[in-house]
Amino acid sequence: MSDPPIIVVRNLKKSFGDLEVLTGINLEISAGEVVVIVGPSGSGKTTLLRCLNFLEEYDSGEVFFDGQLVGYQDKDGRRIRDAEATISSIRAQMGMVFQHFYLWPHKTVLQNVIEGPLVVKKFPQVKAKELGTAMLEKVGLIDKANIYPSKISGGQVQRAAIARALAMEPLALLFDEPTSALDPELVGEVLDVMKQLAREGTTMVVVSHEIGFAREVADRIVMMDEGNIIEQGTPEEFLQNPKQERTRNFLSKVLH
Amino acid sequence: MYNWHFEVVWDYQGVFYHGALVTAQLTGFAFTIGILGGLLIAFSRLSRFRVVRLPAAFYVEIFRSTPALVQLVWIYYAMPILMGVQLSAFVSVAVGLGLHTIADFGEIFRAGILSIDRGQTDAAKAVGMQYRQTMWRIILPQAVRRMVPPFMNETANLVKLTTLGSILAVYELLHASNNLITTTYRPLEVYSAVAIAFAIIIYPIIYFSRQLEKYWEKKS
Repeated sequence: MSDPPIIVVRNLKKSFGDLEVLTGINLEISAGEVVVIVGPSGSGKTTLLRCLNFLEEYDSGEVFFDGQLVGYQDKDGRRIRDAEATISSIRAQMGMVFQHFYLWPHKTVLQNVIEGPLVVKKFPQVKAKELGTAMLEKVGLIDKANIYPSKISGGQVQRAAIARALAMEPLALLFDEPTSALDPELVGEVLDVMKQLAREGTTMVVVSHEIGFAREVADRIVMMDEGNIIEQGTPEEFLQNPKQERTRNFLSKVLH
Repeated sequence: MYNWHFEVVWDYQGVFYHGALVTAQLTGFAFTIGILGGLLIAFSRLSRFRVVRLPAAFYVEIFRSTPALVQLVWIYYAMPILMGVQLSAFVSVAVGLGLHTIADFGEIFRAGILSIDRGQTDAAKAVGMQYRQTMWRIILPQAVRRMVPPFMNETANLVKLTTLGSILAVYELLHASNNLITTTYRPLEVYSAVAIAFAIIIYPIIYFSRQLEKYWEKKS
């Protein structure tokens, strides 16, 4: 784990109105590392993830991605929001996969995958299609390339969404409960793709309740509760010997 | 039993053609103004900035909470007094209905855009797309499909609203008919013919809208 951190979070705070959902998070994620974030609902996992690519504006603290402060810049000692172009270019290097997939329903699977390369990276059609095809092959969906998302299963939709994120050739991938909205029998195919990515050395931050997945491929498991990280460690340490009472409670519920 | 004499109407069919043309012109002007202004109003109301949002909201509320007829009459009579410009009756009605349609179309556009799941925007942002790209490539193509039914409805309504022009003596279909009655004394036939004329204009709009919806349903 000697790689330099690609994501650095320092004293990150975020409130929605009176409710403080992140109370000062510190976290470093190295290139190639797979970090699984667990915790009860409402603990701030998703908000943390969305702050990493600035889908959620944070109130104070810092998020650095590849050495660059995300979302803000300092001007005369004051912090101001970055230009949209700057924020977008950071997001383009950080893929994200959502709980509810959010494929674009008016575009075919392949069109979904090549939209980013075409529009953001300005790839020519041919090059974008080659890339898109390769990504669909990787997630095992090449035969669904020209089909609309409404015609394929939830598991296939989520794999297409992963291909869409991969097509931007990001430096890191964020997963927000990628299997929570799936029927149980479709979870496996999505986790298989994610495991493959993990083994290939993809940097991944995964919010998930899939403890089996975490045990198998995570380098580190991070436990959040009430807006902060209360415990973290390798899967062995974390799962076999949790130190916090709240972690033990939580694990007993999800492991059953 | 009433004796219908549609041949009287038939003899004066030119009056209806001319009336229909004026009705179409009024609709065309108001429709064009409505689309351009409606887009402006919709995006203004969705703006991050209050100074842009509030005036747009004020405009919509004013026009939606007053009758179109009052708006037309107001423009026709108030403009010369307040601004020193005397608009012709035709222009007053075209502009008045245009301003009215801006408010209605604007609300349809805004509601259509807002009806698209925020996740669609999030997914676009996450691959690095900017606001304009997200709007044109991801949100609007989906929103337009939802806008079509209310939009076509409102357009059909606009055709009907042009009859308000008769109050200002604009020779659209209804006013042309009223004049025809004074020469033919055949109100029943004339008004029946007007109703049919409107149906002939409006039904294709409704039909086109249905076909479009069906086409999109099949496609996705």
